[in-house]
Amino acid sequence: MLGLTRESGRRRDLPWSAVVDPVPETRSGLLDRYQPVGAFDEAFDDDGSVRDTYSRIVERFRELDVDEIKRLEKLVADEFRRQGITFTVYSEDEGTERIWPMDLFPRLIAAAEWDELARGLSQRVAAMNCFLADLYNGGGQAIADGVLPRWLVMSSQGFERNAMGIAVPHSAHCNVAGIDVVRDADGRYRVLEDNLRSPSGISYVVENRAAMAKACSWLFYDHAVQPTEQYGQMLRSTLESMAPGGEDDAHIVVLTPGIFNSAYFEHAFLARSMGVELVEGRDLVVDGHNVYTRTIEGLVKVDVIYRRIDDHFLDPVAFRPDSTLGVPGLLSALRAGTVTVCNALGNGVVDDKGVYPYVPELIRYYLGSEPIIDNVTTYMMWDPDQRREALDRLDELVAKPVGESGGYGVLIGPHATEQQLDEARATIEAEPRDWIVQELVQLSTLPSVADDRLEPRHLDLRPFVLTGERTQVFPGGLTRVAMRRGSLIVNSSQGGGSKDTWVLAPEAP
Amino acid sequence: MILARHADALLWTGRYLERAETTSRCLNYAANSITHLRGDEARAEGELMVRTLGLQEELEAVGPLESQPQLVAFLLSDTDNPGSVVSAVIAVRENLRSVRDRIPIELWEEANGLYLRFPFLGHANVAPAGLHEVLLMVRRACLAISGVLNEGMRRDEGHAFVVVGRMLERSIFTVGLLEASHSDARGVMDATRMLRLTSSLQAYHRQHGNAPDPDGVVRYLLHAPDLPRSVLSCLNRAEEGLTGLGANAAALDRARRKAALLRARLELGEVEEAMTSAPVATLQDFAAQLAGLASDVHAGIVPPLAMATVQAQYVRPGHADEPGNEGEPGHADEWAQ
Repeated sequence: MLGLTRESGRRRDLPWSAVVDPVPETRSGLLDRYQPVGAFDEAFDDDGSVRDTYSRIVERFRELDVDEIKRLEKLVADEFRRQGITFTVYSEDEGTERIWPMDLFPRLIAAAEWDELARGLSQRVAAMNCFLADLYNGGGQAIADGVLPRWLVMSSQGFERNAMGIAVPHSAHCNVAGIDVVRDADGRYRVLEDNLRSPSGISYVVENRAAMAKACSWLFYDHAVQPTEQYGQMLRSTLESMAPGGEDDAHIVVLTPGIFNSAYFEHAFLARSMGVELVEGRDLVVDGHNVYTRTIEGLVKVDVIYRRIDDHFLDPVAFRPDSTLGVPGLLSALRAGTVTVCNALGNGVVDDKGVYPYVPELIRYYLGSEPIIDNVTTYMMWDPDQRREALDRLDELVAKPVGESGGYGVLIGPHATEQQLDEARATIEAEPRDWIVQELVQLSTLPSVADDRLEPRHLDLRPFVLTGERTQVFPGGLTRVAMRRGSLIVNSSQGGGSKDTWVLAPEAP
Repeated sequence: MILARHADALLWTGRYLERAETTSRCLNYAANSITHLRGDEARAEGELMVRTLGLQEELEAVGPLESQPQLVAFLLSDTDNPGSVVSAVIAVRENLRSVRDRIPIELWEEANGLYLRFPFLGHANVAPAGLHEVLLMVRRACLAISGVLNEGMRRDEGHAFVVVGRMLERSIFTVGLLEASHSDARGVMDATRMLRLTSSLQAYHRQHGNAPDPDGVVRYLLHAPDLPRSVLSCLNRAEEGLTGLGANAAALDRARRKAALLRARLELGEVEEAMTSAPVATLQDFAAQLAGLASDVHAGIVPPLAMATVQAQYVRPGHADEPGNEGEPGHADEWAQ
């Protein structure tokens, strides 16, 4: 049981289980009218029987009534509000901080299933790191060998000319990757999107678990759940391994745009959980190609910057001159090799959805193996044949702008009007490089609280992969859930919520 | 070693925390006392309270006080008034938010909890029903925050800056109270009022009996070494805090020396002696020196390096904001490698 949380282990093994949070004894029928919606349901078979992984958790929820669910929801929301666990929706006029709702029914991933997923994620991130190292420091062999077209890479908004030739320890360009995966109608995991710049959400993974453990500790008694609170240690050891020259006592900082950034809570969480300083651009200064923090006792040299600022705001000398968030001269320090910026400059080229269709081929090219997790079937709009086919069937497909994230600009064909479809076709015809079109994946569902019952809601998963001297897949991930019936939009900025994600430990032999 | 920005934020946390608690206490006193006054007397008490809190300039921006509700709105919820309770609560929360990574979680939760208990935040000049309850809630929350600061925070530089900020704010208030009391247009110094506004009435009674005389109270509030809100006590703790910041924080030496000098002036009776002939001028001069001490602390937080010189090395060549560099050959390429 080493490495398991206090809440893990079986109920009968815990001597204190009888005195804390007794399991409610009522049987309410919250799940009695549960009807899958034609997608793969992770908790129930097609015939309505409960899958093995979920048998105990479903039983526990059958014992809850609506009032208890509402009480627990309020408990969790109050906890989040009190702690200020919030995010910002920029388009909203009212207030800047909003709580992200967490659904109480957790997502469970069996140990064997997770192992397979983790292997696939490690493989994918390894290949993308190889590509970034090749592109920025290796002469672009993959392009030269025709794995993907040069014009596509060079025209990517994420391609960063200033990153060429900057040495990156261990060739680990992407130290923190968030890979969005979904399960299709057959239950197979597929990669929907890669996030290799500043993927956010890990703080909610950890805080969701903490809130669940406080509000519903009895739910954990039947399961051996892998803990999440060690993320800070994992990230710190990853970043320490990225220090130039491999210093033992590296000075690490987290660079945030400031308290008004949508993910400020997460930035503070990361700094606190690693035990390092959270700095803004104005706290840093470059002198003699070294980066320093400004302290009351003078300047202190920095070795590693975990930045949560986009490339173009990092250094007003090299990038946007109007940026007040960055550090003048940072690029010169990077070039001098006195500091490491994590994630590295220029990773956005792989986040480009136009490059996404080539990732399976990059896996074959660099690693010589078949992808363990497939992409969603994708049509490249710059290919005339694929474009014609996709536009003819646009009412069945999903169109995505290559440079957007957060669900912005996505057109879901079956939910669009004729006028919207015509407008999308015209836009794509005009700028085919800016779009991809994908087969619609009926995201898998799980029971989620909806008023007085549990109903199926669609969800995705963002696991996090850490790479420094070695690669580690964090055992857990951010499960985002669409809060409206039938909706496939899970993004927090579009009204989605989240679930606690339980990666189960292997059964004891 | 603490970041200069963090030091600044924690210093202001201390100042605003003290201000929130002090203004709540003063407003509670004013609201109660004005209830028993009529006409010009009520107005005079309101104006004295504003002067006691050093908010004359802020009041001028609003206009003369016409009624008690106006005084309550000005001191409680006017977000344009940096001395109002709500402004101070917001400032405490925002400053702590900017240092969330280095403070105890409980400290943030207490400050955030206090902020969330103001449903009218953002709606200036809305006074809630049950003023006393609201002010009591604020004072209790401030005490809870103080408790976490004292019992839950490591005694590092961050803690020292909070203490220094609180002691500066507190000493400035106490001297301001004494000065305002001496210059009250009604010509009478109310000893009990001075003690109530510094939460010192009970302590004074225990030490000096139940009949406070104004001069004795002034001495008490200036000199009592064991009274948390006496000026001497505040200066002792501020000096202690500044000393605890470490020998390397050389830029704070000036502030440390000034705190010691002001403390010595009190201990040697210099201030009391000067007050016998010109009490108001002496207190005004002392208040100015306390303000100077606060400025020195702020100045000391900025590291002793000519930052502008360092930043200038990396200003974009040819950028419009840098006259003289436009079109300078060769420079642009240096940055485009």
